[in-house]
Amino acid sequence: MRRFWPLISPVILFVMAAGMGGAEAQEKNDVPANVIEQKLTLVEATVCEKMKRSTPFNKAIVFSSGLEKVYCYTSFDPVPREMVIYHEWYRRDKLKAKVRLTLKPPRWSTFSSMRIRKSDQGPWRVNITDPEGKILRIVRFSITE
Amino acid sequence: MENLVLFLSSIRWQDAVDIILNSYILFRLYVLFRGTHVFRVLIGIALLWFSQRVAVALGLILTSWAIQGITAAAAFIIIVVFRNEIRSVLQAKNLKTILWGVPHQTVKTPIETIVDAAFELAGKKIGAIMVFPGMDDLDELIQGGISWDGLVSREMINSIFWHDNPVHDGAAIIEGNRIKKVGAVLPLSRRDDLPSSYGTRHRAAAGLAEMTDALVLVVSEERGSVVLAKGAEVRTVQNRDSLVRTLEEHIGSTKEQWGYKKKEKRELVIAALAALVLISAVWFSFTRGQERLVTFDIPVEYVNRNPATEIVDSSVNALQVGLSGSGTLIKSIRPDQVKVRLDLSKAAVGRNSFVITSGDIDLPPGVVLRKVKPSTVDVTLDIPGEKVLPVQVDWVGKLRKDLILTGAKIFPAKVKVKGGKTILDTLSTMYTEKVRLDQIEKSGSLKVNLALEPATLKIAADSSDSVTVDYFVKERASSLPAR
Repeated sequence: MRRFWPLISPVILFVMAAGMGGAEAQEKNDVPANVIEQKLTLVEATVCEKMKRSTPFNKAIVFSSGLEKVYCYTSFDPVPREMVIYHEWYRRDKLKAKVRLTLKPPRWSTFSSMRIRKSDQGPWRVNITDPEGKILRIVRFSITE
Repeated sequence: MENLVLFLSSIRWQDAVDIILNSYILFRLYVLFRGTHVFRVLIGIALLWFSQRVAVALGLILTSWAIQGITAAAAFIIIVVFRNEIRSVLQAKNLKTILWGVPHQTVKTPIETIVDAAFELAGKKIGAIMVFPGMDDLDELIQGGISWDGLVSREMINSIFWHDNPVHDGAAIIEGNRIKKVGAVLPLSRRDDLPSSYGTRHRAAAGLAEMTDALVLVVSEERGSVVLAKGAEVRTVQNRDSLVRTLEEHIGSTKEQWGYKKKEKRELVIAALAALVLISAVWFSFTRGQERLVTFDIPVEYVNRNPATEIVDSSVNALQVGLSGSGTLIKSIRPDQVKVRLDLSKAAVGRNSFVITSGDIDLPPGVVLRKVKPSTVDVTLDIPGEKVLPVQVDWVGKLRKDLILTGAKIFPAKVKVKGGKTILDTLSTMYTEKVRLDQIEKSGSLKVNLALEPATLKIAADSSDSVTVDYFVKERASSLPAR
């Protein structure tokens, strides 16, 4: 095994680097048979100031309108099959944007963003829904001065 | 001409009824109280009132105030001073007489008194001659005489024909209950067939009776007999009853009766017309004179609402109602006499728009609707309901740049609100009142009220109208933590 390690390790590192790369990067491509019948589960949903290396940075519930963008990050585990979810951005009770995001098995992290202006101040929420429109979670935050 | 047509077309049937009814009331007052002192005082008060109106029209402020005070006092005094007279008029007459009947002011000749006096004179053998005119005018035939116009009484008749009275030889002319003239000289009859026992009195009686339709009663001085002359007939009356009957027959068909009836009829017609003219003038001065405008803010009353629904919103709470009418009416009108009632019987759940019509506004009589502002009212009806809503804090202000508000826990996280179903369907979050970030430097807790928007929303009795917020603050990270 030690003989083969120098040959195998670059391959492993390549696979790891590919997994960390994109915002909507696939975390694992292999689909175990026992996951297929599992239910889509949202493990994390948060709003943050930035996404750095596919990770939410400065998670908060209040954001200054001086920021360029606000991000909504969601992480699912497991993801039983390739499917879409939606991020519905509301200011008060008015729908501002509905972002379609694709999830791939077996687990997946993804985010959407909203460009903010001064006039966007007020309470916001993001409804995270499955393809049938069922709300998986609501993330609430405010845009202030 | 156009103005006249416009005026006539503006008169409602209620106005006509108003005038006729009040004219009739005034006419009835006249009929009931004529001839009494009350009536004269009433006329005085009416004149005072008229003077006051004239003074107002001329702008004589002090005079109009003074007359108004006197009129008010006079009206009070008349009731106190003439209470017995008023009571006797109202008590003595039944309801039909008060409302409809005309108490005749006939002047009844006191026949019994005359008959008694005649037979008394006859008994005393005092000569007398009394004339009861018929329809014919006697002025041309009767000469001399002294106008007297005294009430008929037995004593008076006796004294007129008393021997020593200078007028005892002449005739007494009796009309109604009055002796109009005494010592009158009648034309003598030239008939030859009169009994020789008849003296000058009898001839005078026969003479007038021949020429007119008058009845002449003679009491013979010599024989003490009572003789009646009518037309060509001259006959001796044997007893009282016969004389009473004859006098009743004659007086019943005399111009005394006819004249009075005719005169009374004329008087009543004039009184009725005067009442109509007077009331029309008063009505006109009240309703049309000196047109004035006034504007009131009248709250809208919603009626006939389906009990299953409730009004959750309306575009206005009150309408600006512009009215016009005579100065007197407008001055006396109060806002609570004007009603705006909106019929919601046909309103459906949701927003309903109503155009305000004159039918929706109740006005006092004589007042005309000029404008309504706004002319439409929007009313939103909804079915009452309840909904449980999550609470979200409405943060405002500026958090220190080096801090991040990472989270907040709200207790209770949800509240139950009540309101219209349509509104509740559009709501998914209950927001708090605005919470300022400026003073926040570290994690902490605060209590904040819920913001009820729209205002028709209410917090259910089993929910709190405020929430406690535990908030968490941390230092802002400048770079991603190492993995």
